[in-house]
Amino acid sequence: MLYKVFEKEGLKDLLAGIISSYEIFGPRKVDEVAYDFVVVNKPEQVDLNYKRTTLPPAKKLLFPSYESLVNFNFGEKIEVTPVVESRQRVLFGISPWDLNGMNFLDRIFSTDFIDDNYIAKRKKLIVIGYDAEPSDSNFALSMGAEYATGGFDLFISDLGKKYFVRVATPAGDSILQSFIMASDATSEDFALYNKFMENYRKKFKVKVELSQFHDSFEAVYSNNELWEKLAKSCFSCGSCNLVCPTCFCFNVRDDMLINLREGVKTREWDSCMIPEYGLVAGSHNFRPTNSNRLKQRYRCKLKTFVDKFETYSCVGCGRCVDACLAKINIYEDINSIKKEVNV
Amino acid sequence: MVLEIKDKIAESLAEKNSIYMPQVATITKINDLTPTEKQFFIKIDNPQLRQSFNFLAGQFVELTVFGVGEAPFSIPSSPNNKEYFELCVRNIGSVSGALHRMETGSKVGVRGPFGKGVFPHEKIKGSNVVIIAGGLGMAPVRSLLLQMLEDRKSYKDLTLIYGCIDPGNILYKDEIEDLMKRNDIDVKLTVDKPDDSWKDAVGVCTNLIPQLKYSPEDTFIVVCGPPVMYKFVIIELDEKKYLPEKIFLSLERRMECGVGKCNHCHIGDKLTCIDGPVFSLWEIKNLKEAI
Repeated sequence: MLYKVFEKEGLKDLLAGIISSYEIFGPRKVDEVAYDFVVVNKPEQVDLNYKRTTLPPAKKLLFPSYESLVNFNFGEKIEVTPVVESRQRVLFGISPWDLNGMNFLDRIFSTDFIDDNYIAKRKKLIVIGYDAEPSDSNFALSMGAEYATGGFDLFISDLGKKYFVRVATPAGDSILQSFIMASDATSEDFALYNKFMENYRKKFKVKVELSQFHDSFEAVYSNNELWEKLAKSCFSCGSCNLVCPTCFCFNVRDDMLINLREGVKTREWDSCMIPEYGLVAGSHNFRPTNSNRLKQRYRCKLKTFVDKFETYSCVGCGRCVDACLAKINIYEDINSIKKEVNV
Repeated sequence: MVLEIKDKIAESLAEKNSIYMPQVATITKINDLTPTEKQFFIKIDNPQLRQSFNFLAGQFVELTVFGVGEAPFSIPSSPNNKEYFELCVRNIGSVSGALHRMETGSKVGVRGPFGKGVFPHEKIKGSNVVIIAGGLGMAPVRSLLLQMLEDRKSYKDLTLIYGCIDPGNILYKDEIEDLMKRNDIDVKLTVDKPDDSWKDAVGVCTNLIPQLKYSPEDTFIVVCGPPVMYKFVIIELDEKKYLPEKIFLSLERRMECGVGKCNHCHIGDKLTCIDGPVFSLWEIKNLKEAI
């Protein structure tokens, strides 16, 4: 890791440089109220004061809602060819919690079997992080995801008069060197950066007490009354899964093209909140009720990966809290679950 | 939240690869087993891939019917057979339905074999082995059964407890009848709904467990059946003091990918496709939702 600083005006040059050489996705205001990570052509289009986007940017690029995995061609013989598309792209301005969400997906798709369809795209993605504004429902600080220790090529922090940049890879270093003048950070710069992070952490208003939560979870697992109460209003719509930076469940399906000579194996996002998720042949459903399913979602986010990867699979972005039509709120539910154990 | 992914990404070998790519294979023979189940003999077309297709008893494949979809099926044939493998398929869903409509010579796609959790065929050598199968659960355990019979002297007493709804639903009926004539394996059959000619036990297979005479220290138990069966079988085995670390269960879950990515088959921190599908009872004893 190299630590550098550059002057305020440098950011525009950096963006202009990247735009001239790469396909770059950055945060842009797309209508009155919404921001999204889209391809940008001019530095002015990038708005780093963006409000949280509906879809997490890294997931949008690396694990799209629908993608082809394998092509089939039915001629004299059946030909099977993998679809591993990978363009060099730059993702600019991703928040620390979304970066941590991407790091989680990286780990999922590279554990046990390497998922080349994902990893090929990931290898070609240059990631530039930025300390974005947390929204009102953001509890990333409590999840330990308000700061990213890795997964990026460059990470830019706004110190007021200048930018402090962490350079994690040769690719990031080369971009910096090509387009702007950056100097090594001095001890004064580090002092300013520490102050900045201290203030940045104060912006996270929602606090969740998670200590021993994953043990508590075990204690309330069979408390059906509690789960029915928490899931009572759930419509099983799956919105929480769609907006989540770490949700990765998908279905694999085969489709034929209209010429009936070609076919494609695809994957599309699935949702653990909809009834068909646990359904097997013969109509047996392993999670038939919405309380089974909400419990399993919380277990996946707050216990499963603590046991498996020693990390929560929730980064606290708060998207599911805002997306839920039934106003189901994960951080309030964490507190209710803990209260149940402490009685 | 420190994640180490860089090395893992570097490990990723060829860029032109995909873990979702099926190998083309041919259905070489089809037998009717019951009115609803058929036996398929499948041979991978590429001779090199056929030779490297080594599976262990308890593993499964993801079978593609091109243009229809993909579904997981456990392999009921002997792991020692390198030329082809078998499947036992009930006509119940879109992929299995399409398979049932196929003929000898049809092409399918195969991914696998998958599953790290397999029947402990080495560890059980020198012990008594009891196999408890219910209905279609006969398919996964048949692989282990054939493997043991091919090397019969390596095991002590063998027992097969097999329960079905009615006599017409018994899978591999001819083979089972042959086994009943042998004196080196004890076969106990039971059906819920007997017909007039039925001479064996009536009721669920759980009823036959109290008859087992083997000592817990010296006995391995292998169980496979519908989800509801496990609960009651475990109660009976516990009653007889059989050891949870010597009881192995093959679990069924919805599997879409087979390679631990799609997450459909997860039970807590275990994935049925990667960590299973065979688990020891000890492993899943406190794993909520497993049984």
